[in-house]
Amino acid sequence: METISTTPTVTVASSSGATPASRSFKVSSAPSDAQPAETLINIENFDFYYGAKQALFDINLKLDDKRVTAFIGPSGCGKSTLLRCLNRMNDLIDGTSVKRGKVTVRGIDINGGDVDPIELRKRVGMVFQKSNPFPKSIYENVIYGLRIQGETNKTRLDEVVEKSLRGAALWDEVKDRLHESGLGLSGGQQQRLCIARTIAVSPEIILMDEPCSALDPIATAKVEELIHDLKKEFTIIIVTHSMQQAARCSDKTAFFYMGKLVEYADTRTIFMNPANPQTEAYVSGRFG
Amino acid sequence: MSPDAIPPPPQKPFVIQKARTRFFGLTLDETIRVFFGGNALTAVVVLALITFFLFREGSEFFGQNRESITLYRKAGLEYVDYMRAQQESHTALTRYLFDIRLRAFKQLTQDQGLPPAQANEQLADLDAFAGRYSDTIEPVRGFVSELTDVAVAIKEKYTVNRDAEKERAQFLAAGMTAEAAEVKTKAIDFKAELAPLVGVTPAYVEAANGVAAAIKEMLPSLPKLPASTSGFAERLERFQELNRQYLATFPETQKKLEAWDFQKPVPTLDTFTGFIFGKDWKTASFWQDWYGVVPLFVGSLMVSVIALFMAVPLGVGAAIYINQFASAREQRLVKPAIEFISAIPSVVLGFFGIAVLGQALRALSQIEALSWVPGFPFSERLNALTAGCLLALIAVPTIFTLAEDALNNVPRAFKEASFALGASRMQTILRIIVPASLSGIVSAILLGLGRVIGETMVVLLCAGNRIAIPDFTQGLTAFMQPVHTMTGIIAQEMGEVVRGEIHYRALFMVGLVLFFIALLINFLAQKIVRKYRVSIG
Amino acid sequence: MNTSSNLTTPKSANPYAHRPSRSQAIEKGVLSVFRAATYFILICGAIVFGDIVFKGVPTVVNSFKTTADFPYVTNTFLFTAPESLYVFDYDGKSREMGDQEFRAFRATEEAKATAAGMPVPAIKATSYVYSAGGIWPCIVGTVLLVIGSMTIALFLGVCSAVFLNEYAKDGPVVRFIRLAILNLAGVPSIVFGLFGFGLFVLAAPTVGTVPVGEIHLRLWPLNYYLNFGGWGVSLLSGWFTLAFMVLPVVITASEEALKAVPKGFREGSLALGATKWQTIRKNVVPYALPGILTSSILGIARVAGETAPIMFTAAYVVRDKLPWEVEKASDFFFQGVMALPYHIYVVSSKIPQNEYTARVQYGTAFVFLGLVALIATASIILRNNLRGRYKW
Repeated sequence: METISTTPTVTVASSSGATPASRSFKVSSAPSDAQPAETLINIENFDFYYGAKQALFDINLKLDDKRVTAFIGPSGCGKSTLLRCLNRMNDLIDGTSVKRGKVTVRGIDINGGDVDPIELRKRVGMVFQKSNPFPKSIYENVIYGLRIQGETNKTRLDEVVEKSLRGAALWDEVKDRLHESGLGLSGGQQQRLCIARTIAVSPEIILMDEPCSALDPIATAKVEELIHDLKKEFTIIIVTHSMQQAARCSDKTAFFYMGKLVEYADTRTIFMNPANPQTEAYVSGRFG
Repeated sequence: MSPDAIPPPPQKPFVIQKARTRFFGLTLDETIRVFFGGNALTAVVVLALITFFLFREGSEFFGQNRESITLYRKAGLEYVDYMRAQQESHTALTRYLFDIRLRAFKQLTQDQGLPPAQANEQLADLDAFAGRYSDTIEPVRGFVSELTDVAVAIKEKYTVNRDAEKERAQFLAAGMTAEAAEVKTKAIDFKAELAPLVGVTPAYVEAANGVAAAIKEMLPSLPKLPASTSGFAERLERFQELNRQYLATFPETQKKLEAWDFQKPVPTLDTFTGFIFGKDWKTASFWQDWYGVVPLFVGSLMVSVIALFMAVPLGVGAAIYINQFASAREQRLVKPAIEFISAIPSVVLGFFGIAVLGQALRALSQIEALSWVPGFPFSERLNALTAGCLLALIAVPTIFTLAEDALNNVPRAFKEASFALGASRMQTILRIIVPASLSGIVSAILLGLGRVIGETMVVLLCAGNRIAIPDFTQGLTAFMQPVHTMTGIIAQEMGEVVRGEIHYRALFMVGLVLFFIALLINFLAQKIVRKYRVSIG
Repeated sequence: MNTSSNLTTPKSANPYAHRPSRSQAIEKGVLSVFRAATYFILICGAIVFGDIVFKGVPTVVNSFKTTADFPYVTNTFLFTAPESLYVFDYDGKSREMGDQEFRAFRATEEAKATAAGMPVPAIKATSYVYSAGGIWPCIVGTVLLVIGSMTIALFLGVCSAVFLNEYAKDGPVVRFIRLAILNLAGVPSIVFGLFGFGLFVLAAPTVGTVPVGEIHLRLWPLNYYLNFGGWGVSLLSGWFTLAFMVLPVVITASEEALKAVPKGFREGSLALGATKWQTIRKNVVPYALPGILTSSILGIARVAGETAPIMFTAAYVVRDKLPWEVEKASDFFFQGVMALPYHIYVVSSKIPQNEYTARVQYGTAFVFLGLVALIATASIILRNNLRGRYKW
C-alpha cells in the first residue's frame, strides 16, 4: 500500500493563542488522474424534519462520482441524518419528512413517487457505526444481499464471496473459515465483513456512518486503507467524528453545524485554509 | 493486495424506479403488512365479539324479565305478595321474641346453673305471650295460603295457553295447518280470573285490622323477664318499638291493596333496576323467579375482600422483602417459587379446599381457645372464608410480581440519595421507595382484585354456593357464611338452563356485568400506572 | 453527636461506631415480619403441593400392572378410562372392584352357584361413579386441547406481535390495539367460556349440503350452504376459546422476544436492499423464535390449567370413545373430549368425599398438577437461561 505514504504532512496552525495545541493532519492528495469528477448526487434546498423538529436546513451540496466525501461536524449537527437521507433509511423512523428540496442521484429524484426505496438501497449501500454482522456464517453474511435478490447459483455465489471479501481486504484472514459465525470475528474484521456484505450487491454508492468509531487504531487504519482502494469503483460518503480520518481518506469535506452546511470544499482547503471561521475553529479543535 | 484484484465491473444503469406487482392496488410488501395488521386486530375483534355475543345472548333478558314481571302482576302474584309481606314481617317479629327467650334460657341455665325445667318455669309467662302473639296472624295466613293457590292457578293457565300458542305457531311455520288447528288455545281473561282475588280485599282488610287491634291490645301485657336475668329490658323495649313500626305499615298496605291494578304497565326501567339492585336470585320456583344480581355481587365482593385482606400484606410485604432485603441467592430462589405458585391450576386449589382446607378451618374454629375470634366457631365447611383463603393464594403471586416490578422501577439514585443523607434502610424504604412506587403497588393490588373477582373454580367448589346476602347484622360472622358468586353461578347453572329462556339470558347478563367490572378494574389499574410513570420521569 | 466535643474528649469512642437504638430494633422487627410474610407464602404453596403429591403419588404408583404382551408393563390409572367403583361384602370379605371386573365377578359367582344348584347369591354393592379405572381419556383430551389452542394462539400472537413491533407506527390505531390486548388479558376466564359458548358453540359458521336456521348463505354456484349453526361442544370450539384467552400472553411474549433482536439486524438487512418482509422473515423472526416459544410455554400452563372456558365449549363429563375413534376425519374436530381440569371438578364436586373416592380425586389432581408444574418449571428455567443468552 503505497498510497498513504506519499501524502504530504501539513500543519495547520491555530490562529488563536488560546489553543496552544497545533494539530497536524495528513491530507490525502487530490486524485492524481486530475480528470474533473462528475457530479453524482445533487442535493438542493433540502429541509428535513423529525416530527416538528427541523433537523436539516436548506442543504445544497453536489457530491462527486468515484470520490470520497467526508461529512464532519459536532454531534447532532445533522451529518448522519443527511447520510441516511441518501438511501432513505430515515423512512424507517416514525415521523420523519422531507418538507422542501430534493436529492437527485444521476438526475433521478430519490424521494420521487416512482422510486422504490428497496431498489435505491440496492444501489446505495450502507455501513453502520456499530458493526452488525448477522448471526450467520461469514459466507452467508456476504451473500445475504444476493440471496434475497433470488440468486441461487452456487458458482456465482462463491465467486461473489471471494471477490467481495478480497475487495474488503478480508479474504486472506477468513478464507479458511467461511462457514464459521460472523460474530466470531474481531471488531475490525466484523466491520470489514459488513463492507464486504455491502459491496457484494455491487452498489454504486457506499454510505459509511462513522465506520471506525468503535474500532482500535490498527483496525481503523485497515478500514481506511480499504476506503482508499474502494474509491476506484465506488462513490463513498463517510460520516466521521475524527478530523484526522476525514483528512486522511477524503477528497472533499463538508462541515455541518446545527443542521446547516457551513462549508464544502476540497479536503485540503477545509483543513488548511478554511473560509469560514466556524470551520476553522472546529478543525483546530476549539469546539466540537 | 494488488489494486487490480477487482476488475472494474460493467457499469450498470442506475435504475431505482421499479413497478411492483400489485394486488388490489397493494404491493406484495403492503399486502403482507395488511395481513399482519389484520392479525393484530384480532385482539380488538375478540373484545368486540365478546361484547357483542354477551349482549346478543343477554339483552333479550330485559324483554323476558318484563314479561315475567307483567305476568307476576296480571296473575295477581304481586297482590298476594303484599299480603304475604305483612305475614312475613309478623313472623320475623315472632322470631325476635323467640330469640329473646333463647338468650334468656341460655343465661339462666348456663350462667346461673339452673336446671332446664326450672328455667322453663321462670320463662312460662313469656312463652304464653309468645304463643298468643304468634297466633294473632292466623287470619291473614289463611287468606294468603288460599289466595296463593288462586294466583298460581291463573299463572299456570296462562303458561299452558302460551305454550299452546307457541306450539301452534311452530306448526304453522312448518306448514302443518291441520296439526295447528288441533292445538286448542284459550285467551285468559285476567279480569274475570282475578275477580275472586280482588273480591276478598275488604274481607282481608278487615282481618288485617283485626290482627292490628289484637296486637295493640296485647302489647302492654308483655311480661317482664325473671329479675335474675339482665340486659333484656332493652330488647323488650325494642320489640315494642318494632311492633309499633309494624302496625304503622298497615294503612299503607291497605292503600296498596286497594289501589292495585293488574293492568298497570311495568316500566322498562324496573326490569333493569330489578336486575342491578334486585336482592333475590330465585330460579325454578313455583311462585315467581327473580333475577337480582346483588346477592351474587355481594358474594363475589366478600370473597375478594377476604382474599385481598390476606394477599395484600403478604404480597406487598414479600415484594419489599425480596426487593430490598433479600440476598441475591434468596431472590433467585424465592421469585421462581412464587411464580410457580401462580401456576397451580385453580381447580386443584378448589379441590384442596374441599378435601383439606374446609375441614381444617372448621376444626380450627371449633377450638375452644380461639372462640374469641369473631365468627368462630362456624359449622359450614365451605364458606366465604375458605374460598377467600384460597383466592388469596391466587392473588399473592400477581400482587407480588407486579409490586416487585414497581419497586424495581424506582431509580437507584433515589435510594442512594437517601442513604447519603444518613437515613436508615427502613426510613429509606418507608419514606422514599414505597411512596415512589405506591401507584405501581396500588395497580398491582387492583390487578390482583381483577384476578380474584374473575376466578371461577375456587369459588364454585369452595364458597358454599348459597344464594343469599349474608346477615351483616352479626358483624364478622357474615364472612363465615356460605355465599354464591357471579362467576360461580354462571359455571353452575349454565349447564342446566334451556337456551333462550330467561334464566339463560340472565346468566349472560351476569357475565356482562362481570366483563364490565373486569374492564373497569383494568382501566383503573392502567390509569394509575400511567400517572405513576409521569411522576417518576 | 457533636464533633467538637469528641475532639476535646479523646477517650470517647469512634464517632462512627455502631450505636444500638430503638429504631434499629424496630427495623429488625419489621424485617422479620416481611421475611415471615415471604416464607408464609412459600409454606402455603408447599402445603398445597405437598398434600396433593403425598396423597396422589400412591394412586399412580399402585396402578402399575404387568401385561402379557409388549411393553409388559402398564399403569391402569394413567392408561385406562374411568369406571364406577363397586364396594361390597362377599364371603365375609370386603371387596372393591371396577365396573368390568365386578360384572365378570358376579357372572362367575352366579354361574358357580347355579352349577352347584345353590340359590343365586345376591351381591349388594355400593357404587361410586368415576372412582375406579383411570384418566386416560382426560389426559388425551387435555393434550389435544393444548396442542390445538396453542397452535392457533401462536399463529395469531406471533403475527400480531410482528405487526406491532415491526410494522406499526405509533398512532391511535396501535394504541387502541394495545389497549385491547391489555384489556383482553383482564377478562375473566368464565366470560371467555360464555363468549365461546355464544359464538363457537351456537353461532360459528359451518358448511353443509342443507340449509340450517334462519340465516344461511348458499355458496353459489356450489350446492353447499354456509350455516351459522355453531360447532357444538367440540374440540374446535375449545381450541378457539382457549386460544383467544391466551392470546395476550403470547403477544406479550412474542413482542418481548422481537424487541430483543438488535436493531442492527434490521438496518443491515434493509441497507442491502432487502424488503421489509424479507428482513423480518430471514433476519428477525428466526432469531426471536426461541424466545417466543420459551415464553409461550407459560401460556401452555395457563391453557392446560383453565377449567371455566372449556366447561361449556369442549369438555364432556364422560365419553366412552377416545378422540381418534371417529367415523370420518372431520368428526374429529367436532367432538367433545374429556379434560383433566374438568374431570377434577367433576370428581371433587359431584361425588362424595370418602376413602373410596379419594384415590381417584387425589390421583387426578396429582397427575394434573404434575403436568402443569412440569410445564411451568420448564418455562421458568428456559426463560432464565435465555435471558443470559440474549446478548448478541
